[in-house]
Amino acid sequence: MPKFDTPARIVEQTQLTHGIFLLTVKATAIQDSANPGQFCMLEVKYNNSRDPLLRRPLSIYKTRANGQISFLYKEVGKGTRLLSKRRPGEIVRVLGPLGQGFRLIDDRPQCILVGGGLGIAPLLLLAERIKQSGKLIILIGAGNASEIPTIEDFSGLTRYFHVATEDGSLGQRGMVTDLLAQTLQEITGMAQIYTCGPWPMMKAVYHMARRKNIPCQVSLEATMACGIGLCLGCAVPRSDSHGFLHVCQEGPVFDADQVHWEYNQ
Amino acid sequence: MIHQKNQITKSPDLSINIGPLRLKNPVLLASGTCGYGAELDGLLDLDLLGGIIVKGISIRPRPGNPPPRLVETPCGLLNSIGLENVGIESFLRDKLPWLRNVKTSLIVNILGNSVEEYSEIAKKLDGAEGVKAIEVNISCPNVKAGGIAFGTDPEAAANVTRAVKKTTGLPVIIKLTPNVTDITKVARKVASAGADAISLINTLLGMAIDIKSRRPALANVFGGLSGPAIKPIALRMVWQVVRAVDIPVIGIGGISTPDDALEFLMAGAKAVEIGTATLVRPGTAEDVPAGIRYYMEANSIQNVEDLRLPDQQTLNPVRYPSFPIEGLPMQPL
Ligand SMILES: Cc1cc2nc3c(=O)[nH]c(=O)nc-3n(C[C@H](O)[C@H](O)[C@H](O)COP(=O)(O)OP(=O)(O)OC[C@H]3O[C@@H](n4cnc5c(N)ncnc54)[C@H](O)[C@@H]3O)c2cc1C
Ligand SMILES: Cc1cc2nc3c(=O)[nH]c(=O)nc-3n(C[C@H](O)[C@H](O)[C@H](O)COP(=O)(O)O)c2cc1C
Ligand code: FES
Repeated sequence: MPKFDTPARIVEQTQLTHGIFLLTVKATAIQDSANPGQFCMLEVKYNNSRDPLLRRPLSIYKTRANGQISFLYKEVGKGTRLLSKRRPGEIVRVLGPLGQGFRLIDDRPQCILVGGGLGIAPLLLLAERIKQSGKLIILIGAGNASEIPTIEDFSGLTRYFHVATEDGSLGQRGMVTDLLAQTLQEITGMAQIYTCGPWPMMKAVYHMARRKNIPCQVSLEATMACGIGLCLGCAVPRSDSHGFLHVCQEGPVFDADQVHWEYNQ
Repeated sequence: MIHQKNQITKSPDLSINIGPLRLKNPVLLASGTCGYGAELDGLLDLDLLGGIIVKGISIRPRPGNPPPRLVETPCGLLNSIGLENVGIESFLRDKLPWLRNVKTSLIVNILGNSVEEYSEIAKKLDGAEGVKAIEVNISCPNVKAGGIAFGTDPEAAANVTRAVKKTTGLPVIIKLTPNVTDITKVARKVASAGADAISLINTLLGMAIDIKSRRPALANVFGGLSGPAIKPIALRMVWQVVRAVDIPVIGIGGISTPDDALEFLMAGAKAVEIGTATLVRPGTAEDVPAGIRYYMEANSIQNVEDLRLPDQQTLNPVRYPSFPIEGLPMQPL
């Protein structure tokens, strides 16, 4: 699969809620070949500065046919703070599209997408893709409503759409796993689960899926240096205890039963 | 030498010899930062480089260390990959065929936990088509000597050198660790043990602590520091080793631009390796031969070796600027 390392012009940089941003850049080559669940490495430093040294991985949130790609990200440290200061018209280097995205399974007429917080980022493209072919159930959870400011992008895609927040500020009060438990009671027939979010949430989702014998794909995170398989830094232990998965190359999306969930991140 | 313009009209010659090995230019990719080459397909034109040094290979596959394996530090990267690799058999079967089609010199980096392991891998590489040289990572723990790294013990380093030289006809480059008090001691020992060349530096031992979780940032607690942060130390060590041995020296450490590379060549390195910079931007190394050529042209320098500064330069008295700097009293630097 081709990858591109291109200077990309910023089209839009919007602060959606406190600390959460939507960045849109023009990178036609990357947009052209991007698949749901893939990510990019974005340069966050200015010009020839060497600090911060490394690029930051961000999931491809949205693509538009005119060559635009959007990223939905949260300011958590130095790199994302610098990125949030970049303005439309400026150039950022973007390397992508990277990794193995979600795999669509033909014989699964119902797909359940479970997103926690900004874990929804890689799920939008997937949801748009599934919508064309089968029944789409979207379950989203967060601490409060301001952590998921782009919820409208999802809610219009399906009538099977449910939100839970821990403080009850949006949707049902509780966890996204409560929503999943309800859904798993209601559905019949073959299903497939796709999930991305905090590790404990994905772990819980995996265990619920396994009890029901439903296959589950997870999108993992790991600290990355290169994003393209050069450094072997992005390791996550395998469930079969035979070494490690490499998130940037074999992932970020894995079959959940490949992952050693008891490993304390 | 450098400022005599317009004397030479020929275009500069970037080719160099590392012992018996001829490279088309002095720019190589450093082990562990370029995978097995194929990962860079489409992002970097390997044909433009002097060579590629693939990820360190051991006799058996190694799973590596538990995560987190990486943490960024100011202008640097700490890693504790734990020398994860596919092992020599899989390398020869699965990785080498692709590398044979690349028009650049392939150097294989090897590692081991005993002298026997090193020579066993060297033997397996000896007849391998396409392999042009071996780089020996001696920063590994010597299991028989209680885990102390070969590279920190001049005698052990010499033993590895001799063992590898004995089992292979390929040029042998010994890669030194900077985690020693006097790097010239190890350098002299491996040179007299028969090394064809020396490369340095490997990563500097370091650590970082996450004050939020109150834990070491790396699962392995310690890691190897690389990137721009280590360049001044690497350059100093290269300068020292160049002046301590008669064999070619390859400079490594924090090189990310042609200017960085030129500093190492001026210190007397015959070639340079680019490591962490490739992780930051995969195409980095491509620009470096072109930048070196441009500098040589602009300064009418014909051969890479001519970039080397004379030793006595260190003995020159420091000269202060002869012009007054406004508002500042003149002070020794
Ligand atoms: C494949 C992949 C896709 C990703 N997609 C997105 C995305 O779409 N949107 C988004 O907002 N983030 C995403 N991330 C996470 C994002 O890469 C990190 O938040 C970012 O690199 C942090 O950089 P920083 O310099 O701001 O923080 P740093 O200064 O590196 O770290 C500051 C603090 O942030 C926390 N932190 C660091 N890395 C992470 C991480 N990976 N996850 C959670 N907390 C972290 C740590 O507690 C750390 O102390 C993704 C990560 C991966 C691996
Ligand atoms: C992620 C990573 C993996 C490395 N793996 C190896 C290795 O397998 N063998 C080796 O000899 N050196 C290894 N090195 C060291 C580099 O080859 C190089 O000596 C060092 O990083 C300093 O150069 P730099 O600052 O340009 O990166 C590794 C470095 C990094 C950052
Ligand atoms: S981040 Fe370098 S190999 Fe995955």
